[in-house]
Amino acid sequence: MRNRTIRTTILAASVVCLCGFTIVWDSEKTAGEGAAVAATDETRMAAYAEEAWEPKVMPEIASHVVPLTDLRAAIGSDPDAAGEQYGFPRDGETSPWNFAVSGEGKIVEAKLKSRAAKLQVDTDGDGKGDVTVQLGPIIRGTALRDAMPFIVFTDFRDQIEFAKLANALNAVAHSRLTLPEGDVVGQTARFEGVIALKGDAQSVELVPTQLQIGE
Amino acid sequence: MLLNRRILISALAGAASLIAMPAFAQDKGLIAIITPSHDNPFFKAEAVGAEKRAQELGYETLVLVHDDDPNKQSEMYDTAIARGAKAIILDNAGADASVAPVRRAKEAGIPSFLIDREIKESGIAVSQIVSNNYQGAQLGAEKFVELMGEAGNYVELLGREADTNAGIRSSGYHDIIDQYPDMNMVAQQSANWSQTEAYEKMETILQANPDIQGVISGNDTMAMGAWAALEAAGRTDVILVGFDGSNDVRDSIKKGGIKATVLQPAYRQAQLAVEQADQYLTTGSTGQPEKQLMDCVLIDESNADKLETFALAD
Repeated sequence: MRNRTIRTTILAASVVCLCGFTIVWDSEKTAGEGAAVAATDETRMAAYAEEAWEPKVMPEIASHVVPLTDLRAAIGSDPDAAGEQYGFPRDGETSPWNFAVSGEGKIVEAKLKSRAAKLQVDTDGDGKGDVTVQLGPIIRGTALRDAMPFIVFTDFRDQIEFAKLANALNAVAHSRLTLPEGDVVGQTARFEGVIALKGDAQSVELVPTQLQIGE
Repeated sequence: MLLNRRILISALAGAASLIAMPAFAQDKGLIAIITPSHDNPFFKAEAVGAEKRAQELGYETLVLVHDDDPNKQSEMYDTAIARGAKAIILDNAGADASVAPVRRAKEAGIPSFLIDREIKESGIAVSQIVSNNYQGAQLGAEKFVELMGEAGNYVELLGREADTNAGIRSSGYHDIIDQYPDMNMVAQQSANWSQTEAYEKMETILQANPDIQGVISGNDTMAMGAWAALEAAGRTDVILVGFDGSNDVRDSIKKGGIKATVLQPAYRQAQLAVEQADQYLTTGSTGQPEKQLMDCVLIDESNADKLETFALAD
C-alpha cells in the first residue's frame, strides 16, 4: 500500500516533469527552426573564435600593427598602396582594406552605459574624436573577421554562419578588455585593434584588442 | 530584343544547339545569364550588367529568367548545357535546390559563377559573389533605430524563406535593433520579396496595429509595396527603411517618402562575375577564393542623388 503511494507520487511527479519539459520544448519550437539552427551556429562559431584567438588572431594583429598616424599619412596619398604596405591581404576590389592599428589620444566622449558602449578618442589634438573605440558588448561590423587571412568565407556554410563568426570574434575581443569605469573623459586611451578602411581613415571605428586608460 | 531572343530560344529548345545564330555569334562562345524575374529592377540590373560586360569581352549571351522556380531553373541549365555555353552566370532559385543543376553543369564542363545569392555547397561553383548582407543590414538597422529615436512599435517584412539573404538580413537587423529595449516589434511577416504581397500584408498589419511608427523591409520591392499601403492609409508618417538601392526607392527618398535603403552593388557584382568567368576561361583560374563578399552602402537623403541603377557615382 505504502509502496503504491510512493510509486504514484513518483509517477505523478514525473508526469509533471514531462509536462514541464514539453512546454519548454514547444515554446522553443514555435520560435522557429531558424532560431534553433542559429543557436548551433552561434555556439560552434564561439568555440572557433575562442580557440583561434591566442594562437592565430593575436599573432596576425601583432605582425600587421601600424601606428594610426603613419597609416593616415600613407592613405592620404594612395589608399591602395597603403593597403598593400600595411593592410591585411584582401580578396580584391570586393572587400575593403582592413588594418591593425595602434595609437593614443584623449578621450573626449564616453558612452559607457550602453550595450554598444563607445569611447571617442582624439588622436590628432584638434579636440574632436577621430577614433571610435567600440567597447561592446555589442561590437558592430565584420572587420576583425575579414582581416584574418586564415578565415576564408568559402570554408563556411553560408553568410549566416559567417556572420556568427564575426560576432563571436568581436565577443572574444570584448571579453579580453578591461572596461573603463567612472568618468574617463579627459583621460588618455592607448589602444590597439582592427579597423576596416572607409574613406580617408580620418574617422575610424576600432574593434579594440588592447586598451589602457590612464591620466 | 531580349523578348524576341527568349521566344526564339524556347521555340528552338532542344534543337538550339545545332543551329548557328550568326547575329549574335562572336569569337569567345556563349555565356548564359540566368536570374529571377526582371520585374524586380534589381535582377534586371544584374542581367543588363552581366550581358553588357560579356558582350564587351566578346561573348555571345543568352539571358534567361527562372522566376524563382527551381524546376524552371533546372530546365534553363539544361538549355545552357545543350547550347554548349562556355559559362553560366546565375542568381539562383534557392540555396538547396540549385546545388544539383550547378553540379550537372560542372560535370558537363561548364563552370557557374553565382551572384547575389549563395548555394549551400562550396566546391561546385567557381565563384559565389554575394553582397555582405549582414554588414548592409546592420547599416540599415542603425539608420532605422536612429530615425525612430531609438523607440517605438515597428514591423519587419521578411523575404523568401528559401533564400539565405532573407535570414541573414533579418539577423543583421535584429542584432542591432534588439539592443534597444524601447524598440518593439509588433509584427514580422514574409512578403516573399514581392511588392503586391507586401502591399496586402501591410494593409492587414496596419488594421491590426494602427499604432506603428516604423517598418523595416528585407528588400526594396517590398518596401515599395508597403509604402503604397501606408500612403493609401494616410500613414506617410511611418518611417520605412528598405534594402537593395533601387531607383524607385531612391526617388521615394528624394520626395521624402521612404527614408533609407542599403545599396547592394548589383550592377558591378554582375560585371565582376563575368570578368571572373572570362579570366577563368582564359587562364584556368579567377585568382579569387570561391566565395566573395561585397560591402553594401547606406543610401539616405544625403547621397540618394548619386544612385543610379544599383551603382553609386563617385
